[in-house]
Order: sequence, then structure tokens, then C-alpha cells
Amino acid sequence: MFSSRLPLPRRDFLRLSAAGVLSGLSVPWFDSLAHAARTVQRPRGKSCILLWMDGGPSQQHTFDPKPTGEFRAASTCVPGIQIVEQLPQLAQCMDDMILLRSMKTEINDHYDAKYYLHTGYKRTTAFEHPAIGCIASSQVGLPDDDMPAFVTIDAGHDRLDGGRSYRSVPAYLGPQHEPLAVHDPFKGLENLQEAGDDLNDRLELLRRGEARFAQDYATPAVANKQAALNRAVRLMRSRRAKAFDLEQEPAGVRAAYGAHKFGQSCLLARRLIESGVSFVEVIRRGWDDHGVAAKNIHGRAPWMDAGMAALIRDLKQRGMLDDVLVVWMGEFGRTPGSGEGHFCNAWSTVWAGGGLKTGQVIGKTSDTGKNQGGAVIERPISAPDYMATLCQALGIDSHQEFMAPGNRPMPLVEKTAQPIKELF
Amino acid sequence: MKAHTVLPCGRSRMLFVLPSLVVLAWSGGGRAEESLLERDVLPILTKQCLGCHGGLRQQGKLDLRTVPAMLKGGKSGPAVKSGDLDASEMWARIANDDMPPHEKKLSAAEKAAIKQWIAAGLPTVAQRQQDDAPLLPAGSKHEPRQVAAAIDQHLDRALAAAKLSPAPRADDAEFLRRVYIDLTGRVPTAEQTAAFLDDAQPDKRVRLIDALLASPQFGEQFGRTWRDWICPPELPSDGNGGAQPHKQAQDLGVWLAARFNVGDGWNKITREILTVEGEIKTRPQVIFYGLVGEGGKATPDGSTRAVASLFLGVQLQCAQCHDDPYRSWAQTDHWALAAFFGKMTADFTKVTEPATNKGGAQISIPKTAFKNVGVNVPAAFLGGKHVAPPQDRSLRSALADWLTARDNPYFARAFANRVWFYFFARGLVNPIDDFRELNPPSHPGLMALLANEFAAADFDVKHLIRCVCNSEAYQRTSRVASGTSESATATLTTLFGRMPLRIMTADMLYDSLKLAYGDPKLDLRSPDTKNSSALGQAALVADPYLEFLRRFGTNEEDATDFTHGIPQMLTMLNHPRLLAGSKALEAYRKARPAASPEQTVEWLYLSTLSRRPSADESADAQRYLQKTNDPVKGFNGVLWMLVNRSEYLFVR
Repeated sequence: MFSSRLPLPRRDFLRLSAAGVLSGLSVPWFDSLAHAARTVQRPRGKSCILLWMDGGPSQQHTFDPKPTGEFRAASTCVPGIQIVEQLPQLAQCMDDMILLRSMKTEINDHYDAKYYLHTGYKRTTAFEHPAIGCIASSQVGLPDDDMPAFVTIDAGHDRLDGGRSYRSVPAYLGPQHEPLAVHDPFKGLENLQEAGDDLNDRLELLRRGEARFAQDYATPAVANKQAALNRAVRLMRSRRAKAFDLEQEPAGVRAAYGAHKFGQSCLLARRLIESGVSFVEVIRRGWDDHGVAAKNIHGRAPWMDAGMAALIRDLKQRGMLDDVLVVWMGEFGRTPGSGEGHFCNAWSTVWAGGGLKTGQVIGKTSDTGKNQGGAVIERPISAPDYMATLCQALGIDSHQEFMAPGNRPMPLVEKTAQPIKELF
Repeated sequence: MKAHTVLPCGRSRMLFVLPSLVVLAWSGGGRAEESLLERDVLPILTKQCLGCHGGLRQQGKLDLRTVPAMLKGGKSGPAVKSGDLDASEMWARIANDDMPPHEKKLSAAEKAAIKQWIAAGLPTVAQRQQDDAPLLPAGSKHEPRQVAAAIDQHLDRALAAAKLSPAPRADDAEFLRRVYIDLTGRVPTAEQTAAFLDDAQPDKRVRLIDALLASPQFGEQFGRTWRDWICPPELPSDGNGGAQPHKQAQDLGVWLAARFNVGDGWNKITREILTVEGEIKTRPQVIFYGLVGEGGKATPDGSTRAVASLFLGVQLQCAQCHDDPYRSWAQTDHWALAAFFGKMTADFTKVTEPATNKGGAQISIPKTAFKNVGVNVPAAFLGGKHVAPPQDRSLRSALADWLTARDNPYFARAFANRVWFYFFARGLVNPIDDFRELNPPSHPGLMALLANEFAAADFDVKHLIRCVCNSEAYQRTSRVASGTSESATATLTTLFGRMPLRIMTADMLYDSLKLAYGDPKLDLRSPDTKNSSALGQAALVADPYLEFLRRFGTNEEDATDFTHGIPQMLTMLNHPRLLAGSKALEAYRKARPAASPEQTVEWLYLSTLSRRPSADESADAQRYLQKTNDPVKGFNGVLWMLVNRSEYLFVR
């Protein structure tokens, strides 16, 4: 964000040269390069609700059923498209949905796959890449708004997944694009509530001290600190921060989303998008169903079906669905059949709304022979392709470059990526 | 630097190695500036040429990574000839856009830089640096005072050459707070502050540095600093199969703390880490190899990356899979070092190594590497010859012998550069673990001086730190003179003519808050997430300390980068604990029932900002107290205000 973000060799040399330390040199200070990335235009693109099914949901027990599979296929409201019979409400939303059945993403290890599917880049030791939510924050988010641009909601878990959770980081996009985390949808945002009854007096006392300090220390770090403080205070004071409080929602609406943490998280996501948040990631853990996918997903299907379908219907009723993209995905799928293992070769994600060409299926997995669903037979989608498509759907120019540590210009998405044209 | 703690070099990584891929923005119009290799030419070659003519591929048998390699040239003859454009094949190919073969050719400015560089006789930054000999003789240990004076002389020469004046000396309060935080990891107490400010002896700074180095908090702070450089304990488990050993990582910090406190040399500590064998119960450093490995187990490549970065100051991670495209490290350099770790097995609980070295000291390049899989590489020290396997001891002992020898070219400077980075927020070489010929130090003489002194003092950590802290450079103010531009301030800071403002690490902030609130168990987790195993985050926030580290973690690579945002600010503003009062304040008021409100406010300032309030600040606080009309609430409000100040969160 600021030019001082990292002391870099080349910039050091420039400074040393500019300072005349390298003998015989006496050049004026020049420093336009690192600033270039800061003057980003932020056209208001589309918002996004990412329903992240952590652990890797089985495609054959959800959106890509097979004749030999454990779950039966059922028709949807779009002729010719079938999903498992356990998801009847979503079947009725199929005209607003797109099934992407040909994900082929190379990585079968949880953490690295989460990283890959959140960033579009494979994890490296050199530096971190910004997650899609942070990218949306920087590109779609309103730069100077009461509400944060990116919020994550922890929608709970079926069982503990240890410490394998991925956390979205903004990396070189700057700390203002860090997500704001809601750890429990029923309780809203931590520490949003004012403590004490004389906050105004204390803030005034603080403000006077800060003003004096800034006079002696006119540095980017101090400016950043004071800006972060201001954003926090504005959020606390904003009427729109009521969006974090589910109690404000009518009982009927709350019931429609289902009496489950996932459904209520979907509802909270809709409230936040309505109040100006650009990207909400609802994280539901526990989809790492080794060997028991049929049993577990049978139990999960009712709340997932209700929550996600209610979200799509609600957005549509409010006239918001064309401006909000809903994405359902995990880090990979599961092996065909019982869903025993991790499977990145041929798996599904689901998109809804976003003003895209909905009611269609992209890609195809094998559906004959012994290993049905074991391979993509039509239109494989790589992780970078997927990310480029997501960017395009949200109105983000994925070719933009940012300065990563070491003065490496990094495009938001790998340059070789090809968006899925059929969606637009 | 977290770099080495994560996974091996992904294949996509070979693209992002060298710093400085910036296209030069010559602002047109003949700037009379010399073109220098590291600064001006290397970034262009890296971006445009080294992909095909570097470590990864050498098309036309051409390697452009170093000047000797360019002079040697490839199939079409020498790539460059000093001062002779006509005889420089590289220039001919670039000038007529024959190269690079892809669409994007070199810009006019880029061509001009290369042309100028060849014509001028291939000058380098290193050649242009005047200050290249250390000012003290190598081989003997010196008095800290002498070393500190030499440090200042080196820095002042560079500042004078730049026609820059260093910032003035920090006043006592600024120095006191800085040196307490740096050497003990927390702010001083009100009593410690008052005692120092009121001490009139001229040698009080020297005495304070000695006293802090002798305190147990010194080891604690440096132990956890090194613990984090090895692997931060709060990181999610990543490749470790869901079971990051938080507790054992913390124990490693405690073990390091004890080593630093008893004054063990860095050579001894390093040897005890590298050659560890046995169970973690008796040897906490066992965790090292597991932490830098994969899935909870040591791997030869993980150990190599970590040892290279932490103890040698070089980056070997790219050379794991292929010759480094941009640096001159060969794949065999990586695996020759890895061979020293090839016989051991280690996990989070124990390290074992067979007593004999049957089969010799060599390693077969595994499938996970990308080229030369299955090739046997014999063990060799970095940049050195192959080693005959020792008969009586482990391979790792042989490595430790070489690494920790006084004349090892890497060991002392790698540590000295990290120490410098710790105090000044930037190394003399940056990135701090990327020492190599074409990434020279900003102050070569000073770098050599510090490394020499450290080696001559038998790698005495406290001695090196004592020398640095007694320098004027360390004791300069961080204030910015009014009217100075951001870029001028940055230049002065780059030359160590001013102290940068640094953000307190999570450990520093946590310990300082504990002091201010008189609460060694200070818990800033959300009230909602305590004791609530039914909620999703329960497992992640089970420990107040780890949760604090996660929430208030800072940018390890740049301590001047303020990365806290809304969640951190909301915690400081609204967490009920921070308004609920301080046990330290209660104790003060109980002990001093007659203290006036002014005195109590002064005590609060001394406890947090390590100075007395200005007249304006004092008046502001009194006005607030009067309005509140409730002393307990009022003093707690003042304390809340103080810990929310920028001045509190920064090390100034």
C-alpha cells in the first residue's frame, strides 16, 4: 500500500544513489514506481457471497449424481439438469444456478488446495497471495465506507478439523483488505459494542493526544494506525452496523433460512451485502467425509438445501440477485463412489445469480464404465481459469498487476488463465 | 522470516525469485546517470533474459547470471566485452530486437541502461561503494565502546557522502522505552522509568544496557524472537497434518531463552540444535527439525532450507528442484548440504541417527524435486568440496564443525545481519537471508566489522548486541523534523541516519499490556468465545496467549509496516477488560493514598508511554477527570486512552 511497505534492494539502491552514496552520483530523488499500483480505479462491481464447504464436499452426493452413485438423481426446474434428490429446494432454483462440473485443480492436500482455490496461485515459500475476498475488497469494495468490504462468517462445523483452516490474507494489497471475522452469526461482530458510557469523552482525549503525536511523526505507519482507528470508530457508530445483528430480522425470514447456523449465516451474509459489504465468505467446516459421505451428507442436506435456496430466493425477491453472485464450493471434491478420498481431478462447484447465464451446466465428467465421474471429459476448469472467471463475474480486471515483496509485479490472476466465456 | 517454514519450492515458484523486476522509469531527457549492474541491469536481465539464459535453462549454452559467465558467453561467443559494444553479442541481439524472442521487447530506456553499462566497462554497485574495509582489525575482540564508535564512523561516512545530517540523539525517555522493549520485550514500569529519568549520571545509558542484558527478560525476548524466525507457534498447522505443536514450539523459545541468558555462544547454541539426538522430554530443541520439515517429520530439503536461511544467510530453496534461475546456486549445492540430513529421522518427539555411516555421505535427489531425480549427490559444505564421512560421529556434527568455525564465511555475518535487522527494522543485506555477490550490503565495511567482531568474541551474542546498542546510530531519535518529505525521511532511514518507528510485536504488546493492567493472565479473547466448545472457533482460541499472537501478529519482514485493522482497533477500543481497570493502578493508589490526580496521571504516563505528560496532556487529563467525577472510572479512562495511543503501539 505505502511505498514503504518493504525495504527492497532496488529501492535501496535508488535511495543510496539518490543520496549520492554511490560515488560520483548525484541524482534527484525519483520514486514514482512503487506508487503506481496505488492509484487503482475502484469501479463498483458486483458483490459476492462465497459459501465455503471446508474439507471438500462430494460431488456425487450433491450436484453431479451418477447412475452408480449412492444418491439418486432427481430432476430440477430446468429440463435435462439433475442433482441429488436430497436437495429439493435447490432443484427449484436451478434456473438461477450454474453447475460447474469439470473442476480439475491438481492439489489433493487440504491446506494447499484451500490456498489454491482461494487465491488462484499455488502456495509458495516466497510470499503470500491475496485471497479472492481481499481482491474483491480492494477492487469492488467502497474505499471509504462505514462498512468493511470483506467479512467472513464462521458457520460452525460437524467435527473438529484441527488447525487446518485457511485464513484469507490480503498480502500485498494492504492490511485494509483484511477480512473482518464474525465467529458466531448469532452473536455478531466481536467488540463492536461500546464499552463504558463515556466513549465520546475518551475519544476526544485520545484524539488530542494523537494529533500531537502525528505532528512529530508524520510517517505512513502513524497515518495507517490512525486510519484504522477511524474506520473502527465509524463502523461502531454507523447505523448500518445493525446489519451484524440477526435479531433485527423478522421471524418469518429467519425461519425460512432454517434454524441452523449455516442458514442463519446465509441470512447474515444477505444483510451484510445489503448494508454495503462487498464480499462475504460463509465458512462451514466438516466436509472431510472420509468413507461416510452418504451418511453425513444425508444429514446435512436439509440445512444446506434450505439455507442456500432461501438465500437465492430472498436475493431474487429483493431484486438483488443480478448484482450478487452466490458461490458454493470447497477445496476439492471426493473420489467417485463412496467419497472416501480427496479428489481434485473432476469435481463440482455451483454459482447462482450474478447476472450470469444461469440455468446451465458447464463441463462434464465421465458417466459410463466402472469409474463413473473419475475424469473430466468436457471443458476442464483449472484453478486459475476459475479465478479469472470469478474476477470477470465480479467486474474485476484480473490482469492488473500489484507489487509483491521483492518488487515482483504480480497480476491478480495468472496471465495464462482463460475465463469461462459461456457464463457471460 | 517465515519463508523457510512453509512448503518446498512449488514449481510455479521459479518465476518469482529475484527482487527487483521493476521496469526502469527513466523520466526521459538525458539524465546523466551511470548504469550499474545490480541496480540497473540485473532487474532487466532477470525479467527478460534469465528465464532462458540462467540457472534453469541455458539456451545457446549462455548463462547471464554473473559477469564472469557473461564474459565467457555461449555458442555465439562472449555475451559482453567490457567497454566494447561492437564485440558484445548480447548488445547486438538486444539492439536489433532479435532478443528477447517473445513479443515484449526491451524498452528504449532498458536498452539504454544496458548499452551504457557495457560501454562504461560493466560497473557494479559494489565497485562504487567507497566504504568497503572494516575500521577495526579482524581476529581480536574489542571493547564495546570501540566497536560502537566504529559502527558510527562507518555510518557517518556514508551520511556525509550523501550530504545528510543524522537525526539528533533521542532524549532519555525515548531511548529508555526503546531499549527496554528491544532488550526485554516490554516497556519499563513507572518506577523503572522514573528512576532512569531522574538519574543524573552521564553513563546511565551504558549501565542500563548492561543491566537489561543481564536480566532474564533479555533471554526471554531473544528466545521468542528466534522461535518466531524458526517457526511462529501461532501459525496454523499447514503441512503438519493438523497438529501444530504450539506447546513444543513455545518450549523451544524457552530453551533458547535459557541459552541466551547463561551466555552460550551462538556457535554452541547452533551446534546443540543441529546435532540434537534423543527425546523431546529432555531436549526441547528436538522440535526444530519437525517444525521446518513436512507433515510433522524432518525432511532433508526442509532442514536444508532452514539451515541455509537461519544460520548461513542464503536462500537455497529454489535450488531444491533445479539450478537457481537467478542466483548462482546449483541444484547440487542444495542437495550436497541436504546430504548431511539424509541419515537422520526426526518427528515432533525424537531425533535419531544411525551410529555408523554405511553407504557414505550422499543423498539421492528424490522424486519431489523436478530435475535430476535419482542422481546421487555427495555431501559437501556450501561452496566447498565433498566431505569424507566422519567415522565416529554423525554427519550433522561434521556440518556443525564447519558451520560454527570462526573462519566460516557465512555463519557470523548471517547472525550479525539479523541482529542489525532486529534493531533497525532492516538488514545491512536485504532480504536478510539473501547474501550473495550480486546483492551487496548497503555498508560493506560495517557488515564485515560486525561479522569479524562477533566471530572474534566467540559468537558472544550479548557482546554483539552491547556494541550495537551503545552506538549513536541506535540512540538517534525517530522523530521526523517538520517539513521533511516522506522520501527524504525514507532515505535518511535507509542510511541509518534516523531510527524508524517500529510496530510492537504481539509479544511486546502483550507483555506491556500485562504490566499496565497488573494482570499476568490478561485475557483479550472475545467474551463470547470463552468456554464455548460448541462454537466453531473454540479450538482455535483455546489459549489467550496464542489468540493474542494471532490477532496482534505483525509483519515479520518489515517492523515499520502497520498491518493492524478494524478487528485489532475494535479490541483495543471496546474489549471490556481494557476499561475494567488495572490492578497495578489499584496497588499504586493503595500505596499512595495521598497522591494527587496529577501525580496519578503522571504515574499512568510513566507506566505506558514511559515518559511524563506534557503540560497540555496533563491539563487534558484533568479536564476529563473532572468531567467524569469518579476517580476510579476516570483513571481507568485515562489508562484506556494511553494504551490506545499510537505512541503506545509503536517502538519509537
